[in-house]
Amino acid sequence: MVSPAVRAAIDEEIAKMPEKRGALLAALRLVQEERGHLCAETIQEVAEIFELHPAEVMEVVRFYNHFHERPQGRHQVNVCTSLSCALRGGRGLLRQIQAHLGIRAGQTTEDGRISLGHEECLGACGNAPMLRIDDAYHLDLDWLRTQQLLDGLE
Amino acid sequence: MVHIRVDGTAYEVREGLTLLQALDDLGVLMKGVDIPHYCWHPKLSIDGSCRMCQVEVEGMPKLQIACGTPVRDGMIIHTRSERALAAREGVMELLLVNHPLDCPICDQAGECKLQDYAFEYGQAHSRTREPRRALKKRVELGSTIILDQERCILCRRCVRFCREVSATNELAVTQRGDRSTIETFPGKPLENDYSMNVADLCPVGALTTRDFRFKTRVWSLEEVPGICTGCSRGCNVHVGVVDHEVRRYTPRRNDEVNGTWLCDQGRMTYREIGAPDRITEPAVRGNSGQLVGATLDRAIGRAVELIREAVQKEGPGVVAALASAHATNEDLAALRGLLRALGSETHAAPVLTGSSDALLVRPEKAANAEGARVAGFGEPGLLFDKIRGGGVRVLIVLGHDVIHEQFLGTPEPLAALDGVILLDTHRSRLEQVADVVIPGRHLAEKGGSVTNHAGLVQAVPAALEPTFEAIAEAQVLARFADALDVSLTDEPERKREVD
Repeated sequence: MVSPAVRAAIDEEIAKMPEKRGALLAALRLVQEERGHLCAETIQEVAEIFELHPAEVMEVVRFYNHFHERPQGRHQVNVCTSLSCALRGGRGLLRQIQAHLGIRAGQTTEDGRISLGHEECLGACGNAPMLRIDDAYHLDLDWLRTQQLLDGLE
Repeated sequence: MVHIRVDGTAYEVREGLTLLQALDDLGVLMKGVDIPHYCWHPKLSIDGSCRMCQVEVEGMPKLQIACGTPVRDGMIIHTRSERALAAREGVMELLLVNHPLDCPICDQAGECKLQDYAFEYGQAHSRTREPRRALKKRVELGSTIILDQERCILCRRCVRFCREVSATNELAVTQRGDRSTIETFPGKPLENDYSMNVADLCPVGALTTRDFRFKTRVWSLEEVPGICTGCSRGCNVHVGVVDHEVRRYTPRRNDEVNGTWLCDQGRMTYREIGAPDRITEPAVRGNSGQLVGATLDRAIGRAVELIREAVQKEGPGVVAALASAHATNEDLAALRGLLRALGSETHAAPVLTGSSDALLVRPEKAANAEGARVAGFGEPGLLFDKIRGGGVRVLIVLGHDVIHEQFLGTPEPLAALDGVILLDTHRSRLEQVADVVIPGRHLAEKGGSVTNHAGLVQAVPAALEPTFEAIAEAQVLARFADALDVSLTDEPERKREVD
């Protein structure tokens, strides 16, 4: 069950919206913050709160990269592979990270430390290649710096 | 009203509509004014996602989607300008980038908008070398519908249908871009009373019904207008016939009756036509007490004998009729006429009732319940009383709804009659008490008119001949009248006595 605190926060978000479903994104974010991911049961719970069919909530969850349906590692490492970054070595960087961690994008290391992903433009083209670790941007990367960043994650 | 010109032709259209809506409203869309479209559907909300309906509007710098552009007075539209055609070619090319082109094994082939428009607006060859996206070819969305994700062009008609029409919301588009697919939530399959409409809606071969899938190539179907016999709504259907066999019903648009929809239960009633329990041969109860197969002449002869004997012995009025709400108005008129000629006013029609909904399904489970009432065939209660009281000697029965537990529950009460003449399409326990059994024709086999719950009389032609020898009930009754030397005319004063 969604905790009373999160439920109260969701109700607060709903109150801001002219239509209940307008608060769905905010609610999913709150629930994921608490749970770490949004499994089918959780989606169903949220759907009940919003009086929506779970398929409609699933639609939103799957549209956005930042929502996860499976348990994630302690850190999210996401490499930008959009055009500017790709031209500046973003894809190569992702390949190196994959080899280094022994996982592919979309997977989580066995120790649960890192979930690796790639995503579309993060708006930092001027500092390509770049990646995002949790909520922080890391710019103008080379492999040495990237390795240090990764190895520094707990 | 506003005035617009489309490809040089002036039209006066209702205000507040978009261009496609206005043309559909006039009945000229795809019937004179061809603006190709995938995602737009007259009975669904506007999506604007397929971009196929782009047209050139004078005074507007960019092409406009006809589905979403409101008509304005004086609007001048070109649907086949060079720019519009080039745009459509581009849309087609992009739609086909990931399309599997497996038309030879696709059920939609022959009635596929992708094929039609590729032929009309597309190119003959592909410029892409990249591999096509590989997705699931057989996803069971529910018990009735199978999805081929590769064929889907993401027009979202099915998704909108489930949200706006069936209001069940099972379908969703998940993921983004070229990973987008139609999906259901785990444990919440597409199960609603109207689920099969999504296969009709699907402009391509992505959604197919489990029932029709891989059964028939559509170009070998003869599609004849028909009426669904599932309830008293009288939904208009196309009866799809191959080789004396009905393979499917699909909805036929009639905005007054069913719009463009058909409920699943009604849709599957086509199976009654070719059902194994059809009565295929006339029969007469022999001296041994068993029903024995007979010629139609012999069966009619025996029926007439029973009627004549009863009338001679007990006088007119002892012949009664139990009509069917499945019978056509023509059958009912003939039955009514025959009874009048025999001096009887004892007749009724049992109408089975069941569940209903707010969309199409009516509680009365027969196509012509209202027609039967209008023809004077009321509730059967009084008739049952008269049978129990011995006031009826011979009963002509159309259909077997009467032995349903909503009425007699068993044929027993009819056993004491001198004669039970059964004109029916399907076998039932009524045969246990019938002295004469004469096969009837299904509505799709005889054509005729039925009156729907709202009093709308709808006539359809025969879609196929039965595989066995049978004539329409009205014709059987006419043969009775001939043999009895009475007239079937509905004018009471012109009736003649039976000698």
